[in-house]
Amino acid sequence: MTSSSQLLIPLHVRYIQSLGEDDLTYHLTAHLRMNAVYWGLTALCIMDHKDALSKDETIEYVMSCWVDEAGAFGPHPDHDPHLLPTLSAIQILVIHDALDRIDVPRVTKFILSLQQPSGVFAGDQFGEIDTRFLYSAVNALSLLDQLHQLDVEKTVSYIKQCKNFDGGFGAVIGAESHAAQVWVCTAALAILDRLDVIDQDTLAWWLAERQLPNGGLNGRPQKLEDVCYSFWVLSSLSVLRKVSWIDADKLTSFILSAQDTENGGIADRPGDLPDVFHTIFGVAGLSLLGYPGLVDIDPVYCMPANLIESKGLRKGWEALPRKAS
Amino acid sequence: MHGVKRVQYSQAALEAKKQRDHDKLKAYLALSDDVIARKSHDMSNEAFELTTRLLRMNPEFYTVWNYRRDMFIESLFPQRSPSEVNELLSDDLSLTFELLKQHPKVYGIWNHRRWCLEHIPDGPSPDDVNGYRNSTWNKELFVVEKMLDADARNFHAWNYRRYILATMPFPPPPKSELAYTTRKIEANFSNFSAWHQRSKVLTTLWETGELDRVKSIEEEFELVRNAMYTDPDDQSVWIYHAWLIGNGNYAARLQFEITSIQELLDEQPDSKWCMESLVRYKRLLIEKHAENLGDKKALVDSCLELLAKLRDIDPPRRRRYDEIAEGIRSGNEMQ
Repeated sequence: MTSSSQLLIPLHVRYIQSLGEDDLTYHLTAHLRMNAVYWGLTALCIMDHKDALSKDETIEYVMSCWVDEAGAFGPHPDHDPHLLPTLSAIQILVIHDALDRIDVPRVTKFILSLQQPSGVFAGDQFGEIDTRFLYSAVNALSLLDQLHQLDVEKTVSYIKQCKNFDGGFGAVIGAESHAAQVWVCTAALAILDRLDVIDQDTLAWWLAERQLPNGGLNGRPQKLEDVCYSFWVLSSLSVLRKVSWIDADKLTSFILSAQDTENGGIADRPGDLPDVFHTIFGVAGLSLLGYPGLVDIDPVYCMPANLIESKGLRKGWEALPRKAS
Repeated sequence: MHGVKRVQYSQAALEAKKQRDHDKLKAYLALSDDVIARKSHDMSNEAFELTTRLLRMNPEFYTVWNYRRDMFIESLFPQRSPSEVNELLSDDLSLTFELLKQHPKVYGIWNHRRWCLEHIPDGPSPDDVNGYRNSTWNKELFVVEKMLDADARNFHAWNYRRYILATMPFPPPPKSELAYTTRKIEANFSNFSAWHQRSKVLTTLWETGELDRVKSIEEEFELVRNAMYTDPDDQSVWIYHAWLIGNGNYAARLQFEITSIQELLDEQPDSKWCMESLVRYKRLLIEKHAENLGDKKALVDSCLELLAKLRDIDPPRRRRYDEIAEGIRSGNEMQ
């Protein structure tokens, strides 16, 4: 196995283009296809190869997942509508400047209908609640320019109750701090201009302690390193302006070592099978670390930074400066 | 996907695998297409059995769990007595338990379990309308204990446990949950999930007055000291300890802990967590109890010395140690 000290951009672009060739794993994950399209597209944008996938085919795919009775999107044609694919659909259309394809009032109605009395959001009418869905709703409403319709106090009060003794946040009230849930709560608070809710020193400390001797980051104490935490942890630290509290060089080496140097794509850790989920989060992590040749990513929205800025949605955050080479 | 190793196949083995996958894929797609084609209108027993087959192949296919639930509500339940409905739900609880053993982190399976619990009918009789519910909910603690025995850090299981305790008709008292966390912690001090649960249960017991906060915290410090000395490298214990110290308003407790941790550091001179905690607690002394301190300068110097050592033994986080040192030096803490 060749070692990689560089991000093999052309190889990863081809990897993303090749996804969808008939294989079992691809079909077994139809329930997250819309998310996967968003992950692949965003990775391409950050690697500055936005046009590597057809814009028209992508938009056509998104619209084929519209469920008219619900006013929302599913992950795949004939799959049930849900908040997560609805957010991904909106993000894809924003990246392709095709938001006019969406019936904004109906989608807004769908999103708002999922807010519970406690302030958290359900994912669909079956009622599963999670701060991931709270973040999805806040992000989506923000991109649709409908945030003024949200009961912000109620939403923020739920997040407050999810705060734990270590400064972190969990999936629901009472749940253990987990880096992905920390990110969704932190990013939601950033969008809502309520970072005052966070014990910033304590949380930044907990996040910094995610770095392991091999340079990788884990999601909770005593768990294994995983490339996806390069994004969840790093973007949270960016919002707190404490990216310098982890070792950038060691993390960069770790992410690069998780590349599949034969077939492209990035895996959760070195030696494992790659997938598009770890590819975007590895590339996004590298972008936040200032890796040369990459495009800036917005850590609050996980979308290209200049796009978010052009919509007037940029919040206070700080990544490492882009290296020249 | 997580934790799936890349395997180097020989050409022959690769061809064979491709063929197997192709056959599996054909079978899966045939079943999936069939079920999806039926879901808008077919509420028959035959369709129900097909969803069982499909969910066994792919329990993450949430649209099919939705379809299954629709069939329960629209056709399977309306035709049946409470006892039969209860039995159908018991079967699905068994099915989901079986699937959870192979797929312990799939949201859709846990969600379906909750839905089943929430749809248990009144019965078995008019003067025992909660009989079915009580008997089924009581079994759930056993189920979740099995899941946590298999993986004590599975957050789906812990969240489910909290849901059961909050929702079951006759929950055990909070003190019994405290005892559960003690068991889990004593089995493995590195179980941050158990320490986390403990922090929640204790907070409730203090708020209701069931446990005296001051006495309880003293006992917690003893528990933590034992854990610290057993494994000084385990961050769970130190993070929990920092929570117990809290805002550092009790100078005597701060001094006592500082002394105790210093003793441990003398035995384990490279212990990052001892040093990190000493800096944290000495800073609190400086910040909160300046007027009672004999030699403030000695405390400040001690912090700076520890921070210099921390830079050396914990290089990834040196920027944080530098910032703390800058803060101390600039005199912010000497007001």
